[in-house]
Amino acid sequence: MHDITVVDLSRLQFAATALYHFLFVPLTLGMSFMLAAMETVYVVTGKSIYKQMAQFWGKLFMINFALGVATGLTMEFQFGTNWSFYSSFVGDIFGAPLAIEGLMAFFMESTFVGLMVFGWERLSKGQHLAVTWLVALGSNLSALWILVANSFMQDPQGAAFNPTTMRMELHSFQQLIFNPDAQSKFVHTSIAGYVTAAIFVAGISAWYMLKKRHVDLAKRSFRMAALFGVLATIGVITLGDALGFVAAHAQPTKLAAMEALWKTEPGPMPFNLIAFPDQSLQQNKGAVRVPYLLSLLVTHSLDGSMAGFDTLQKKAAQRVENGIPAVQALETLSKDPHDAAALAQFKTHEKDLGYGFLVQRYAPELDKVTPQQVQEAAKDSIPPVAAVFWSFRAMVGFGLLMLAFFVMAVLYTLRNKVQDKRWFLIAAAWMIPIPFLANEAGWLVAELGRQPWTVFGVLPTWMSASTHSVGYMAFSLIGFVLLYTVFIAIEMYLMVRSIRQGPQEPGGGGRSEPGPRPQPRPANAAAVSGRYQEG
Amino acid sequence: MKTFFYFLLFLVLAVVVILLAVLLGDQGAWYFAWLIGTAMIVLVAAAGAALLDTQEEHAAAAQRASTDARADRMA
Repeated sequence: MHDITVVDLSRLQFAATALYHFLFVPLTLGMSFMLAAMETVYVVTGKSIYKQMAQFWGKLFMINFALGVATGLTMEFQFGTNWSFYSSFVGDIFGAPLAIEGLMAFFMESTFVGLMVFGWERLSKGQHLAVTWLVALGSNLSALWILVANSFMQDPQGAAFNPTTMRMELHSFQQLIFNPDAQSKFVHTSIAGYVTAAIFVAGISAWYMLKKRHVDLAKRSFRMAALFGVLATIGVITLGDALGFVAAHAQPTKLAAMEALWKTEPGPMPFNLIAFPDQSLQQNKGAVRVPYLLSLLVTHSLDGSMAGFDTLQKKAAQRVENGIPAVQALETLSKDPHDAAALAQFKTHEKDLGYGFLVQRYAPELDKVTPQQVQEAAKDSIPPVAAVFWSFRAMVGFGLLMLAFFVMAVLYTLRNKVQDKRWFLIAAAWMIPIPFLANEAGWLVAELGRQPWTVFGVLPTWMSASTHSVGYMAFSLIGFVLLYTVFIAIEMYLMVRSIRQGPQEPGGGGRSEPGPRPQPRPANAAAVSGRYQEG
Repeated sequence: MKTFFYFLLFLVLAVVVILLAVLLGDQGAWYFAWLIGTAMIVLVAAAGAALLDTQEEHAAAAQRASTDARADRMA
């Protein structure tokens, strides 16, 4: 029997490392494509300012990339050290995308990132541009494979449990990759990275414009970030909606937690704009509701309905009862893998195996399970509602705030007036933390909403962890938190230093406004357009 | 010749996109949307930068014309 404190500490450790890691990843995903955009303009127009932009933002990208890699490595080890039962149970499936990520995407990204940094003087313009695009593609493919693996945990497709080997085995790689959850989550996450990078570039560019430093570079960076960001934010919101649709079918408890829906209501359903969910009483306090909105959001119709926790808990109780014979059959098969009766019993109840495991937490001997224990297990199938509900609202609220920001940013920059809007430039600089907070909130919605499962409906979290001691877990958790806090401090220090230093401008100027110009008062339009041409 | 090679390159790209659309259309529509969407976002951002260059050139030209006109009047 697992010590629940160890399980909770293992969860906390993974959550802490993942949340730290996820501060770096989205910026890498988005910044790589922003660099590709800047360098594309440089190659097409030949204007050196775009090369300076690619090099300056590339330097910040590299700081973030290096620390992202450092924080990501330990997470993969944790699957083996802290989640050994999980790794043995689903390793055949979960390991494949992770291996592909390492061998294909990460190697590709890491190889080309070296060429991108050191290749400016060694490669032709076209070759360097191709390298930058490959870095962008590689980093996003890396995210693809991680999210394919994650989506198997959310909606296990393409695999089945083998009662002879006592583990899950992959039977369709195609189903694993084309899992609807994987598709919508990858695009949602990747584009959330674009938004993060766009806010980051826009915020720093705004700061330069406020300080009247590197104004030409900042204006161009801001313009590109604003257009990049507004389209990406629209994409993120669209994919968030798609992800909600997927969750409605694959993870109805997560969707009910996002909406704090304790009771099933007929359509049209109101949306809980604000509520204070009470998990023990299974009701909301102080709810502010918007009529019709939930039906519209969840079913895209005005009279649609979705299941609340009362319905879902009843279904879970039925599945727990149906899963008990499956687990009992496995106990027999573990002693005699050829027992035909046990095999037939397993096949009949196979789809509810995970729910059988869920009740084992309360009744290790399943032949003595009581109706109260079944109800306890069914109640456990409800994720922590308040945390999911508020994380979801934080994510959506930040998303809408960023959309409003980008719409204004596009309007101001297209009129070429943004440098005169001091209040907006200050606001832009203060926007920098917002996408990071939204990303963290999104991660919490996805992973807390999956509870109490590591693999939804198949493997409960309580039995997935390794059997470490509480002391070991507490010690390693404190170690990770300290180490990763140091990483964050290093990143912040290097970023701030590089930003204060500013981009290298022609003639060695790094701090002047707006950098030395070859011809201060050009005699004709051709000379103006040639201002940033390479000599 | 260079134009012909560009034509061939873009033709190959178009074929790749059509093939991807056919292959991913049924099962991987969001993956395809990501490919197309990302390319579009990058190109719109790039076009925005090019537009800013043009706006600044026009603004500089207009300012010069106004300065020249004032100088002519004073002369």
